[in-house]
Amino acid sequence: MLSSATAMLALAAFASAGLVMIMRPGARSIRLAGSVLGLAGVAGLFVEVLKLASGGAGIPPVLPVLFGAIAIFGAARVITHPRPVFAAIYFILVVIASAGLFLLLGADFMAFALIIVYAGAILVTYMFVLMLAQQSPQDGETSANWYDRAPREALSCVIIGFVMIATLGQVLFNPNEEARRVASSVQGEVQSDADLWNTLSRMPKHLKSIAREKLQLSRDEPITFVASDPNAVVQSDGKDHFVVVTAQGKDQRISLSAADLPMNAQVVGTTLVRDYPASIEVAGVILTMALFGAVVLARKQVELGEDERRVLAGLSRLSVEPESGGPR
Amino acid sequence: MLNFSLLADATDHAAATAIGVIQPAVDAPDLKWAGLIIGLPALSALLCTICGAMRVRSKLPAFITIVALIGSFVLTCMLFQQLGQGAPRVVGLFEWMSFSWGNADRFQSFSAPFALYVDSLTLFWMLFVTGLGSLIAIYASEYMESDVGKGYTRFFGGVSVFLAAMATLVMASNLVVLYLGWEGVGLASYLLIGYYYSKPSAVAAAKKAFIMNRIGDLGLALGISLIWVNYGTVDYATLFSVLEAGPTAGHGDWMPGAIPFLLMLGAFGKSAQIPLFTWLPDAMEGPTPVSALIHAATMVTAGVYLIARMYPLFALHEDALATVAWVGGLTAFVAATIGMAQYDMKRVWAYSTISQLGYMFLGLGVGTTFGAGYHVFTHAFFKALLFLTAGAVMHGFAGQIDIRKLSGLRKVPGFRLVSYLALLGCLWLSALPFSAAFFSKDTILTAALGSERSDFQFLGWLGLLTAGITAYYTFRVWFRTFAGPVHFEAGDDQHDAHDDTHDAHHAPVAGLSLGAKHDFHPHGPRWAIRIPLILIAIGAVAAGWPAYNVLFFHGENWVQTMIAHSSAVAGSGEVHGQDVLGLSAHLMTSIVGSAACVIGIGIAFWMHLADRSAADRVRGALRGFILTRWIPTTLENRWYVDEIYHMMFRLPLWAGSHILHFFDKTVVDGFLVDGTGRVPVAVARLFQPLYNGVLQGYAATMAGGFVLIAGWVFWIWLRGNG
Amino acid sequence: MTELLATYDASSVNAALLTSSLLFGIGLVGFLSRRNMIVMFLCTELMFQGAALAMIAFGRVHGNPDGQTFVIFILTIAAAEAALALGLVVLLYRRRETLDSEAWSELKEC
Repeated sequence: MLSSATAMLALAAFASAGLVMIMRPGARSIRLAGSVLGLAGVAGLFVEVLKLASGGAGIPPVLPVLFGAIAIFGAARVITHPRPVFAAIYFILVVIASAGLFLLLGADFMAFALIIVYAGAILVTYMFVLMLAQQSPQDGETSANWYDRAPREALSCVIIGFVMIATLGQVLFNPNEEARRVASSVQGEVQSDADLWNTLSRMPKHLKSIAREKLQLSRDEPITFVASDPNAVVQSDGKDHFVVVTAQGKDQRISLSAADLPMNAQVVGTTLVRDYPASIEVAGVILTMALFGAVVLARKQVELGEDERRVLAGLSRLSVEPESGGPR
Repeated sequence: MLNFSLLADATDHAAATAIGVIQPAVDAPDLKWAGLIIGLPALSALLCTICGAMRVRSKLPAFITIVALIGSFVLTCMLFQQLGQGAPRVVGLFEWMSFSWGNADRFQSFSAPFALYVDSLTLFWMLFVTGLGSLIAIYASEYMESDVGKGYTRFFGGVSVFLAAMATLVMASNLVVLYLGWEGVGLASYLLIGYYYSKPSAVAAAKKAFIMNRIGDLGLALGISLIWVNYGTVDYATLFSVLEAGPTAGHGDWMPGAIPFLLMLGAFGKSAQIPLFTWLPDAMEGPTPVSALIHAATMVTAGVYLIARMYPLFALHEDALATVAWVGGLTAFVAATIGMAQYDMKRVWAYSTISQLGYMFLGLGVGTTFGAGYHVFTHAFFKALLFLTAGAVMHGFAGQIDIRKLSGLRKVPGFRLVSYLALLGCLWLSALPFSAAFFSKDTILTAALGSERSDFQFLGWLGLLTAGITAYYTFRVWFRTFAGPVHFEAGDDQHDAHDDTHDAHHAPVAGLSLGAKHDFHPHGPRWAIRIPLILIAIGAVAAGWPAYNVLFFHGENWVQTMIAHSSAVAGSGEVHGQDVLGLSAHLMTSIVGSAACVIGIGIAFWMHLADRSAADRVRGALRGFILTRWIPTTLENRWYVDEIYHMMFRLPLWAGSHILHFFDKTVVDGFLVDGTGRVPVAVARLFQPLYNGVLQGYAATMAGGFVLIAGWVFWIWLRGNG
Repeated sequence: MTELLATYDASSVNAALLTSSLLFGIGLVGFLSRRNMIVMFLCTELMFQGAALAMIAFGRVHGNPDGQTFVIFILTIAAAEAALALGLVVLLYRRRETLDSEAWSELKEC
């Protein structure tokens, strides 16, 4: 049998071929055949990739594949649809599918943030501009512009895309011994849950409210943490996580369960504020600059005549008669 | 007489015998005034330059030069008076070249101070150089008077430069200063031959002289370098003392043998021997005083001087001397044969000079430096006399010098003195018995004939034959020009311009056209020309006095004594030699030489005076006979030597230069330079589609770049680290 | 990597990575082949999507919220860039009355 890498390359090639057949404006049958081919290729890729993920719960991974397929389908339609508004709408579909994948990966906050920002803000802006820049097509047969109907150099572009995907795929999905060693040297060996417990350690207010609730103390009773390492308040004894507090004059141990783990939004928020405050500021500056830029760009452009420009620059006028300032 | 068999065993004693006893030099700082002998002509050259810059239009430059040269002559006489014969004196004038470098080697220093080495050879040479120089300068002051204000200053500047350089050459104390003088005379010769610079033939002749001299100078320079490498010194005194160690002095191996050959190459170039002789006839394009002074009396003897000065080097190598003898003998014969067929009087005397120089080299080669030196002395006088009389003729006849167009000049009013002085010169050139030249030529031929080597004997007989030919062609000229019915044609107006007779393709002198121009009246020379002529003639006669001294008064030959006390002592012995055909060599030479002279004059008389059409008949007879057909044309065309050189050297060089030019243009220029220029353009055109303004093209390129980088990082870099 | 991924619900991570790379590739192809300027920018947004998805997936692999934090910033930048890009596109449209990127291919460097 072919090695996994070669198989992936072949499948990617099929998918690319399918894409080409879809893109070129030809007979419907070709495009149909192309879409079938593309679909088959993508499906095969998914199978290969999931094979690499050995182990797991044994449950067939329906949702990731579903979301992925929808995203890819949407992307394909984005790039092949002749009418730009529809391309934007398909893009929204891609965004939604991507958000689904985010959810599966445990980033629920990001999923919704994605939908809100992208689909809600950016794509709407695109729609506005598309309305503004609308052009009536020359011939009334189809409602798409001539330059939208046919792609430019479909084959070369798909080849380039294929090379890109092949590279990325080889880099990401290489089942080699070496690659694994390389990969393992790049990443750390940390369990996700442990990081969450770490994050909880860094959220003293939340922890205090949990402790108060568990000890059924009122809100204004003092409570302090006792820990050998002040950065790792939440301690673990191998089976259990607990925290030691001093309340009401005595040390108590409160065990924590998985339900006490912070939610994704809390985690993201804490990380942003505690670890990347400067980046937040910079992002704000960038947004302000974008605002200014947009305002400058959107100003009404006045066509200055030659004489007006010369006057502005401090030179003398060219023409002798009084300039009416009209359009040239 | 040098006995070559002794050289077979190279013992020190034999070597010392071979090179003779050369007295070691003595420092004489009190003789610093002798530097003025060089200094006065140099000063006069400077003053002439100033005159030229200030556009002097009188005869002032001539006056300055004459005064300077007479001053040099007087100083030379004083020097001679003071020193006479004795140990050579070394007079340091100033430090010139001196380097030393620290090395654990033998060669740690090189020094060539500008110093004078005054021995009897030097004085001997300087006497006639400065004497003749002064007289010829006086002659030239009138001869060149038509150029006053135009080139007069330039002429005398050149003459001064020449005398300064010649003095440097002769009085040098080391080979480097000699080389300086050598180049200086070459430069002066170039400047003066090309005096009429508007004439292309004069310019070409000047270049030819200089370039041919250069070839010889290469040999001289290499020789000097090898001398330094081999013997560690270029100074005469030190060199002579080193050479007393014999043929193995210095480093031995191949160098000592090569040095004489290189030096003789330089001598042959300067003194116009085979193969470097074709420049001298062409040098007759210069004004006649130049021809007389430089190319007859003084500069061309520099080669003889070199070999005489370096005679110890030559004496140690039998082959070198033999080569010198052969070259000299052959040159004498060949030049004489060419002289028989030329129509331009100056050219005949030029070939005669080459021929007589051949005799001098023959003398050096067979081992009699005394004979060679004596012949230099006598030749200087009579050859200068001949040239100057030819100049007087040219001066009077507006540049006419073709012997076919002049006749009976001794009857032309104003030219009687010139004609008879020319007769004196011709008689001396033909070695009339008991003339000075007879004795000098006799010495050389006796040494050759009486030699033990059979090849030298052959050269002796050849020399006798050449003597006969010399007499013939000399009197051919005299009988044609100065005797016979009076007839003359004026030449072209330009002074010394003789535009014909470069190639003697004309028919021989056949009949005389009596249609002489009647409105042209020749003017005889005035006293500024006559007095030097008379003085030189007296000198030519007086040059025989040393021989008369020996013959009639049983005294000693002054020339021989002078040479015996110099570095050329090895050849200064009495010339005896073996018996030839039962008679002593001396007697045989005298008899045969005299006979040759008389026969030559007789034949010339028959063919060119008594019955002038006989020349044509003889020529026709020669051409009629199949075996001798080639003789007249070949002689008239000077043995085609110039043409041969043209074929051998100039054509290949010309072809080579064209090939290289083509190579330079197409390969170097076109291919390499332009091609290299086109490479960036081609590369730019190759990558130009990347910049066609299409946005997505740029994006594609970016994607490609990303792929490359990603691939490199993940497959090469990380793998390497992993 | 593959064994470790297994621990973190590897299938979803792998699927997400595959999707992200395909999104990126398809976005690249679209950018290169479409001529409508707005749609070209839309395809760059697709590429952003792919990148963000990859970020999240790797954040999950490493188990810390850095991936999500970075995606927040990506969103910020994408929004700013989209605004400015669209503003420029509108200006260009006003010049040439067309959204075709061919109209601007005179800006060559040669």
